[in-house]
Amino acid sequence: MNHHYITLKDFNLFLTKLVNQKIVYGPVARKNKFVFDLISSPEQLRLDYDVTILPPKKIFFPPKQHLLHFDGESYKDCLDPKEQIIMGVHNYDIKAIDQLDFLFKEKNPDDHYLLNRRKTTIIGSNIQTIAARSFWGSAGAGVEPKGHDGFLTKLKDGFVFETRTKKAENLVKFAKFIKAKKTQVEQAAQINTAVKKKCPAKLAYSSAEIAIKTRLAFKNNELWERLSKDCFSCGSCNTTCATCYCFDVQDSWNLDQKSGFRTRYWDSCMTVEFAKTSLGGGAVHNFRALRRERFRHRVMRKLVYLNDKLGGPACVGCGRCATACTADIADPVNIVKEIMEA
Amino acid sequence: MTQKPKVAFFDFSSCEGCQIELTNFGDADFLELLNHIDIVEFREAMSEKTDDIDIACIEGSFTRESEKDRLIAIRNRAKIVIAYGACAHTAGINALKNHTTDFKKAVYGQDADQPHLNSNDKALPISHVIKVDYFAPGCPMSKYEFLNIVSHLLHGKEPVIPTYPVCVECKRNETICRYDVGDHCMGQVAMAGCGAPCPSQGIPCEACRGFCEQANLTALENTLINKAGFSASRAKDKLRMFTNALLPDTSNP
Repeated sequence: MNHHYITLKDFNLFLTKLVNQKIVYGPVARKNKFVFDLISSPEQLRLDYDVTILPPKKIFFPPKQHLLHFDGESYKDCLDPKEQIIMGVHNYDIKAIDQLDFLFKEKNPDDHYLLNRRKTTIIGSNIQTIAARSFWGSAGAGVEPKGHDGFLTKLKDGFVFETRTKKAENLVKFAKFIKAKKTQVEQAAQINTAVKKKCPAKLAYSSAEIAIKTRLAFKNNELWERLSKDCFSCGSCNTTCATCYCFDVQDSWNLDQKSGFRTRYWDSCMTVEFAKTSLGGGAVHNFRALRRERFRHRVMRKLVYLNDKLGGPACVGCGRCATACTADIADPVNIVKEIMEA
Repeated sequence: MTQKPKVAFFDFSSCEGCQIELTNFGDADFLELLNHIDIVEFREAMSEKTDDIDIACIEGSFTRESEKDRLIAIRNRAKIVIAYGACAHTAGINALKNHTTDFKKAVYGQDADQPHLNSNDKALPISHVIKVDYFAPGCPMSKYEFLNIVSHLLHGKEPVIPTYPVCVECKRNETICRYDVGDHCMGQVAMAGCGAPCPSQGIPCEACRGFCEQANLTALENTLINKAGFSASRAKDKLRMFTNALLPDTSNP
């Protein structure tokens, strides 16, 4: 829609006004890491963050979410969407959210996701600090970030604020934004293009090349065995992933043994129990009982299976899996290298 | 179960802390629970006894020969047996003696040979003696999880206990990984279900709930050595805290 400009000083006033009137989330420091959290004063917002432990999807698709409440006779859904703003979302996470929007909408639209999502305004921001394990510069390189409402790019003395929807345009009235100059808009574009080349790690092949070779490696048991030898099946590569969306649903009763909740939790295909299915009569079959099968499945899901549907790989290069894996075997950059050279 | 099930609590070699944990529900909640179950034996709270039990909840490990007959007798009069707490589930810290031979001397010194201190060479989970239907792991067990198991049984459902590692819950909580602050942790091999309270308070997971399914112990030892800077022997010992009786060299009676 429009390009606005705001000075650093006015940006602080803008934030102060915004957090006083709206629910605003953004990256904040937690010890030596960053997390998306509620912002109550402008200095908490750390737009210079590198990457957060969990992706911002957690705000509208929480790790634990009540789906419905029952009382023994009737039940009621737990839908309670709130108007909220997420500030400072990086491009890789914008791409991931765009994928989730599509996946939760197709076939059986998921209201518990979609209603929250529709009430959420997403304001991106340029990447000022580059996370050590990130490779977003080369992951799904042809996919443009979209689906967000606005985008902030920090220049020396202020921000260029690109509004892409009415939701973002409505925020402009909160402070002294002025029309951005052509040179400022160009400078912002240049910053966002230049940063793509600054990732420490890089995929040396195109998404299409990776997808073809990875699929061909499906039956290479020796390869998957080797790559997954140290895997804990702990799911940290899934539970920190920006694009993972699997969940488990459980019922629990309150003390009265009548009322209770149906709740969903983020799930993980790397855990042993994920692929356990009932055969009836107490019999169980696990169709991915082996470590290497689960490891392979994650790689296939991220690099191959969803590509046609999503128009690119289901990996945005945030590097969260590589950081979270204590055995250090989850980094897609290394996995892709092994597959391509196998 | 249409009638109120008769529930009994028994303790073997343990600190009885899990029974205490149960009473920590507080008056109101505990009394509400009594609307749904009949407690027929509970040493920490009453002196009555009965022969007919629907659910026997057993705390403590099997570490004395005399405990065998008592366990079998309980099993014979109970429809369902729940092993609750780390001691009953994995033999817990009682099994720290399992790979040693001088444990009595180390603990009791000159009194080591007193006959009342006699115990087996190994402490074992009660499942070595009797069939256990359900486990409520942990040191202490989680009263909420225990309640969840009982709730499922009351509704005729199979209780759901996670078999995945604690890392899943740390991530759901967005807890900073202990390894990211230069510490160590056993969460990668420890069974979840506790909600990962220890790492969220800055304390490494000690696997008090036992190992998760297909726990990769070799990879854990390597991670403790390479990432946390442990010596090889310390890394090995780390696996013993609550889970010594589950290791191949110390699990046989």
